[in-house]
Amino acid sequence: MRAETDKSYVLFPLGEKRFALPAETVTELARPDSVQTFPHRTPLLTGVLVRRGRIVPVCDVAQVLVGPAAPPRKFYLIANCKRDSHQELTAVPVTGECELASAPRAPLTGREPQYISGLLAVGEEMIQIVALEKFISGEALA
Amino acid sequence: MRSAAKSRLQPPRQVAREDVIVFAVGGFRFAISAAAVKEIRSMEGLHAFTLGGISVQIAKLKHTLERGGVTYFVVDAAQHFQLLPSQPSRVLILRNAPTAVLVDSTDRIMEISALHALPRAFTHEERSWYRGLAVVNGAVVPVVNHHAFLNKAELEILRSGLERVHGEVMV
Repeated sequence: MRAETDKSYVLFPLGEKRFALPAETVTELARPDSVQTFPHRTPLLTGVLVRRGRIVPVCDVAQVLVGPAAPPRKFYLIANCKRDSHQELTAVPVTGECELASAPRAPLTGREPQYISGLLAVGEEMIQIVALEKFISGEALA
Repeated sequence: MRSAAKSRLQPPRQVAREDVIVFAVGGFRFAISAAAVKEIRSMEGLHAFTLGGISVQIAKLKHTLERGGVTYFVVDAAQHFQLLPSQPSRVLILRNAPTAVLVDSTDRIMEISALHALPRAFTHEERSWYRGLAVVNGAVVPVVNHHAFLNKAELEILRSGLERVHGEVMV
């Protein structure tokens, strides 16, 4: 059994900042692929990818995490996102290469938005752990 | 355990083969079950629908069409899907419903071999708009729920509005 501090995280860039997802939820870092769009009304979803015969929704968390000024997304980090009792693959566009890291969790300050589930201290950098399910449920926009 | 976990991750996919009609609206492609369409025709014979306050309540309802003694209520698909106004040229008359749909163009009838469930991440109106997603030559095409063009609530508004205006049931 691993302690919370031993957990691995995938660190991903969105412009100048880096964020983290628990490594156990990440299944793939995909090269740029054509996002396919169709009319819908769900915020933050920009379309879907077809990966190995499966349809994966694309959730552009950068719109919330860094705002509209985020640079072009280069890769898709594909992660399992738990929603109610189901899990679903979700693609998160990121702006550069990702890194696997194990780092101690730092205590939350209490001022973080609800879509941040924790903090990682990586060197001098404090990296926010993203609760992807909050974006999918729309709570990140509340 | 592995298969159970895998099944939780994979959205349901119906494998029954189905003929669909591919059509376009506002630059997007859609598919509709061929069995749901009675006829595809030009826009000739459409009459503007401006009855009472109904056309305000159901803004996407733009026209009516008389066909074989039946009145069809013609829905603008671009407005239904909340797209910018498009340039419709064809009317899909639905089977077993007093509904027809204005679309920009029809492409072809083709067979799809699987209908993927709409990912659960999609949570808004699209859940009623679509039965699922098909992959056609690598492209994802939503398969529309034809019952949603005029749903039960909208048909009820039509029914009661027409009763009020004409004093008779027409729907």
